[in-house]
Amino acid sequence: MSKVLHPIEHKIIRTLKETPNITHDEIAKNAELTIDQVRRGVEWLKYKNLVEVHESEVFFASLGQNGKEAVEKGLPERRLVNYLVKHKVCTFDDARTAVLENEFNAAISNAKQNGWIEITKGQTSNIITLKDNIKHSPEEELLTILANRTPVSDIKNKSAFESLKKRPDFIRLDSIKTTVITLTKQGLDTQITHSTGALLAIDVEAPAPEVFAARSHPLQDVINEVREIFVSLGFAEIYGNLAQPSFWNFDALFTPQDHPAREMQDTFYIKNASTNKIATHNQIAKVSESHKKGWHYNWKLDEAKRMVLRTHTTCVTIRHLADNNPDEARIFSVGRVFRNEKVSYKHLVEFNQVEGVVVGKNVTLRDLMGLQREFYYKMGLKKVKFWPTFFPYTEPSLQSMVYNEKLGKWVELFGMGIFRPEVTKPLGIKNPVLAWGGGIERIAMLKFALSDVRELYNNNLGWLRSVPKCP
Amino acid sequence: MPVVTLYLNRLQKLLGKKTSRKKIISTLPFIGLDIEEQTKDHISVEYSPNRPDYSTDYGIASGIQGLLGIKTGMPKLKIKKGKYSIKVDPSVRKVRPFITAIIAKSGKLDNETIRQIIAMQEDLHNGIGRRRKKTSIGIHDLDKIKFPLIYTTVNKDHKFIPLTSSFEMSISEILQKTDVGTKYGNILGTSQQMPIILDSIGNTISFPPIINSNLTTISKNTQSLLVEITAVDKNAAEDALSVVANVLQNAGFSIFSTKISGANNSAPSLNSRRMILEVDLVNKILGLNLSTSTIISSLRKSRLDAKSQGNKIICTIPRYRTDIFGTMDLVEEVALGYGIQNLEPTIPQSVSTGQKNKITIALDSMSAIMVGLGYSEAMNFSLVSKEVQYDLTKRDSSNMISVDDSKSQGHTILRDSILPGLIDTLSRNIHETYPQRLFETGVVFSKVSNEIREEIHLACVCAYNDISFSEIKSILQSVFRTGVGLHCTTQMSSVPTFSEGRTANIIINNKTVGVIGEISPEVIDNFKLRIPVAGFEVKLTGLIFD
Repeated sequence: MSKVLHPIEHKIIRTLKETPNITHDEIAKNAELTIDQVRRGVEWLKYKNLVEVHESEVFFASLGQNGKEAVEKGLPERRLVNYLVKHKVCTFDDARTAVLENEFNAAISNAKQNGWIEITKGQTSNIITLKDNIKHSPEEELLTILANRTPVSDIKNKSAFESLKKRPDFIRLDSIKTTVITLTKQGLDTQITHSTGALLAIDVEAPAPEVFAARSHPLQDVINEVREIFVSLGFAEIYGNLAQPSFWNFDALFTPQDHPAREMQDTFYIKNASTNKIATHNQIAKVSESHKKGWHYNWKLDEAKRMVLRTHTTCVTIRHLADNNPDEARIFSVGRVFRNEKVSYKHLVEFNQVEGVVVGKNVTLRDLMGLQREFYYKMGLKKVKFWPTFFPYTEPSLQSMVYNEKLGKWVELFGMGIFRPEVTKPLGIKNPVLAWGGGIERIAMLKFALSDVRELYNNNLGWLRSVPKCP
Repeated sequence: MPVVTLYLNRLQKLLGKKTSRKKIISTLPFIGLDIEEQTKDHISVEYSPNRPDYSTDYGIASGIQGLLGIKTGMPKLKIKKGKYSIKVDPSVRKVRPFITAIIAKSGKLDNETIRQIIAMQEDLHNGIGRRRKKTSIGIHDLDKIKFPLIYTTVNKDHKFIPLTSSFEMSISEILQKTDVGTKYGNILGTSQQMPIILDSIGNTISFPPIINSNLTTISKNTQSLLVEITAVDKNAAEDALSVVANVLQNAGFSIFSTKISGANNSAPSLNSRRMILEVDLVNKILGLNLSTSTIISSLRKSRLDAKSQGNKIICTIPRYRTDIFGTMDLVEEVALGYGIQNLEPTIPQSVSTGQKNKITIALDSMSAIMVGLGYSEAMNFSLVSKEVQYDLTKRDSSNMISVDDSKSQGHTILRDSILPGLIDTLSRNIHETYPQRLFETGVVFSKVSNEIREEIHLACVCAYNDISFSEIKSILQSVFRTGVGLHCTTQMSSVPTFSEGRTANIIINNKTVGVIGEISPEVIDNFKLRIPVAGFEVKLTGLIFD
């Protein structure tokens, strides 16, 4: 807790040392501060344990309608006595004319109690005799005091007060809540220094207003991290279009034209779009031949020309390999891919995929597994295992599983395989091609502990401003 | 991916050797099956559609037997000669030209076996059958049928009692009123002649590929079966038939052949094939040094037959393994039989140096500049909604590029500009502290005589009470000066999304490369923003990279 006191705090403490136990308003008046300054200052001091704030309720008594009348006309017992002063002795029946019928009993009993009268039995009626030396009763004294509103705690004669309270509408009670500020022992001990023009100390420990650092998108950070790893492993990045002819997205990858994956329910076909030059004549002829031989059907060029939003980055890879025909290569590509699915917490229509490829005369399936392990190791994922799986354009094909420490379970990450000869041969690629890849959002979800993939694209500033750059 | 439910008790029995459940479950992934769900009694696994033999627990048991060495080598399909014949009428040529069939006799069906068979039939319809279009399967109670059968065509007024019905319906009614009729009727196209299988006394057996007759419904009491498959592709029909024949043999049936003739149809050929595998190829691809005998035993564990001949291995592949195209598929079979877990990963030698693509490098730099100027990166989709892209932003939609049949309402057109998405992002953050400064880079699409063009743009928006044209222009100037050393000027223009009189074209090297301005109050209103916004969008393609 800061030991530095603000000038406002100084003034409040000084005022309380002069006049202890006063209200906010009184402090404001004495210290020449606004009420807002006092409220704020008292809060700070309370937080620093220098003052205590006590709330209390003060009750006041004043006269009701009947009480006020009694001040003017006298209490019933007084009026009875005044009558007796004129007549000295009278019967009960006579006395009844002096006061109101409903006040009579009270008048008699109070006058008797005050020692003002004596009652003796007459022949037909009781006789009232006035005594000497008649003084004011405590009720009468209290009545005059209560003509001004008085704190209940200031009333000394409690029994007179109780007696008046019993009479209907003689006394009215009300209360006022007040807050009183008191210095604590620490507060009393606080030294008040008088500043002498030197730089005033400020509360260096108080919280400062928030500002938000501008930053790249967390998902972009993961993409960049993946990119850096590929580059560090000796891979060159290639770039390709998002809209591709079906030829490169499917046909060149030995996916038959009637394959369910090509149907509209999985793939986005672009309306009224086509392209004249999808590939070289030789590439088209060879791919078509490979389909006829492998899948026994009538391959159609028109189907291959249909434009799709790429369903994987492999179309970019295979086109690069077909056009450049390298004997040895390490290349990768990363970017958006599309699937015609219903958006949900685990599916997006558009997401990022990365794919790496190694071409070489002597590359093996074990090398592919090794590169994979190396890649994950650089991502901070140390436990990796492999299972067989199926992909239409690789053979053999494997699935990698990595152990997620946070979740305490194995999760499926990248798929991999060696391009099928049915894919490479027609395109003139002679050496084996190791390929692997997968979605980046999945890695980002693990990294940022998200359970809903949509959050990555919500651009919720609350999240973007709070998620750590290096978690 | 199709899913099979396996009852562990039954699977244990099928294996024929006492095997713990734990052992079974841990083996499943190594024959390529993904575990989907697991309870005390059963386990659901996903298999890839290229292995239709895994569509029943019989096929999966066979795979596990192989990998665990309980039974290895190719399961032999024994087909006895039957006296059953099917004649094909040439009229089917135009509508569904092929039929193939086998007979399965003296077996026993229990509820679970029937369930497995029906599930297999569905998977085969969807996979090899391409949703019944290419092939469709009918399984019938043999004892209800009088041979010979004829596969022919009839008119749409032909009537019979279809499966699960108790009254006669005409083919027209079946196509219009039943679920299967409406779902698969379009396979038959506009033909008025409908394919039909009739028996020798004129009973309807099946109306392929839609529905069987009620007459031949199978039950627990059925002892013998007719399996017929009609198709537009004879090869695919025999692929499917080989899967069914093997399953029924495993389920305890004796398999008999049928004689099929007429209109280019013939008895099915379900024979195995042979393929030669070179030992060197296996070792080269897997990076191992396996002996011929290890390769042979690995292939046998993958339920293939193999024997050596010199430096080569002769493999015998059962008909149902339609996934095996060539020798590379056999290499994978060796890897699986050998055990993927036994392959130790290695790192290949390489002298190549990695590098990022020049577009990536340029975008990284632009991004760094934007962040330095206080702008945070947003990431939006490139497949967007017309509402945001054109309607709310008041942009001209006449060159809109759509995709066919999107399953998600908000993703139906390709963006031709990044700004609308950024304004939409602001509108979803009105409860967050201002100022809000956002930028995005990405691909936008345009169409030039049906050809799709892709370009990369940079856009940014700034929203707070004191934003002005001059502030956003300062940002623009700084981006290009500090980013790429280019000087840009602005020239008064009029663009729908922006306020009239506070909008300009961005000119760099005498070319208009973008637009800058204050967003019009109407657009601000459309997005329910209660704060002024300014922004710009620039085409980077052709400016800082090609």
